[in-house]
Amino acid sequence: MSSTFSGDETAPFFGFLGAAAALVFSCMGAAYGTAKSGVGVASMGVMRPELVMKSIVPVVMAGVLGIYGLIIAVIISTGINPKAKSYYLFDGYAHLSSGLACGLAGLSAGMAIGIVGDAGVRANAQQPKLFVGMILILIFAEALALLGLDQWVSLPVQYGLMQVRISVGTLGRRVGPRPEFFGLGGQA
Amino acid sequence: MSGATVVGDTTWSGALVRISPYTFSAIGIAVSIGVSVLGAAWGIYITGSSLIGAAIKAPRITSKNLISVIFCEAVAIYGVIVAIILQTKLESVPSSQIYAPESLRAGYAIFASGLIVGFANLVCGLCVGIIGSSCALSDAQNSSLFVKILVIEIFGSALGLFGVIVGIIMSAQATWPANAA
Repeated sequence: MSSTFSGDETAPFFGFLGAAAALVFSCMGAAYGTAKSGVGVASMGVMRPELVMKSIVPVVMAGVLGIYGLIIAVIISTGINPKAKSYYLFDGYAHLSSGLACGLAGLSAGMAIGIVGDAGVRANAQQPKLFVGMILILIFAEALALLGLDQWVSLPVQYGLMQVRISVGTLGRRVGPRPEFFGLGGQA
Repeated sequence: MSGATVVGDTTWSGALVRISPYTFSAIGIAVSIGVSVLGAAWGIYITGSSLIGAAIKAPRITSKNLISVIFCEAVAIYGVIVAIILQTKLESVPSSQIYAPESLRAGYAIFASGLIVGFANLVCGLCVGIIGSSCALSDAQNSSLFVKILVIEIFGSALGLFGVIVGIIMSAQATWPANAA
């Protein structure tokens, strides 16, 4: 056993599952968005082929959700290194929550983009003035995924105003009391 | 061990540390190939049935639209590739080291990697299949639409690639303790 391994043994399980959740759920959202709006584009393209290239916007926006999940999954999985930096259960849970937050937000955003994109491109074929409106609604739906990409969770502690921050830039990094105060293990 | 563990047997983490990392690794490898192939098959039957139906009145679309079927097949191949890569990450460690923290981490890494690749390819296969079926149906009506809808299909197939990328990055974390001990 490496003598430099510090942290809890099962913590990487949750960390890696967090990375998995981030990517898998975001890809589910991206797939739903792409497929649903793609079907709409194909259906309306039969009547108005010249509008097809313009109507690929919802598909591109759905594809971006997969990239959000990819970013978070890579950040999380490269951050799980108990030899270089101690990795307690606290960090594992933080990564799990980051991954789930990003992934499930991406899933919901993808579903919204898909349904709005499908309805939007079909309506746009009949009424060209609706294009801007469709784009506005899609942007609101994409913002949901951005909320998941950058999360801020603060746990005020009875020891003062120190906060624990879990966000894109500081995944797993703690600003606050050591995890043994939470009863989550660590050195005595 | 330099890191303390949570009170061992009374929490469920006591159960987790008793599962061999090789169990997790094996399940991860199986999921990576099994669920990817499931996604590919699902996509192929969605595309294939639409393609055959649309080709009744427009037989010219058959050979061009086989590319949608090939996109779905590629998803299965991604799963096979990653399963082979994960398999090469397995190393044997002496029995005293099987439940060492480093081995456990390696097992979890392979498990999560397999899950990622499997399920990302599952949804990618579904997505490509649905779009491929729309592509065939619209191509049958207007052949200028084929290339345009193919662009959407390419966006869809990128999702499987995301899964493969993250799976391979994560599998680099699967380092087992050295055999010398």
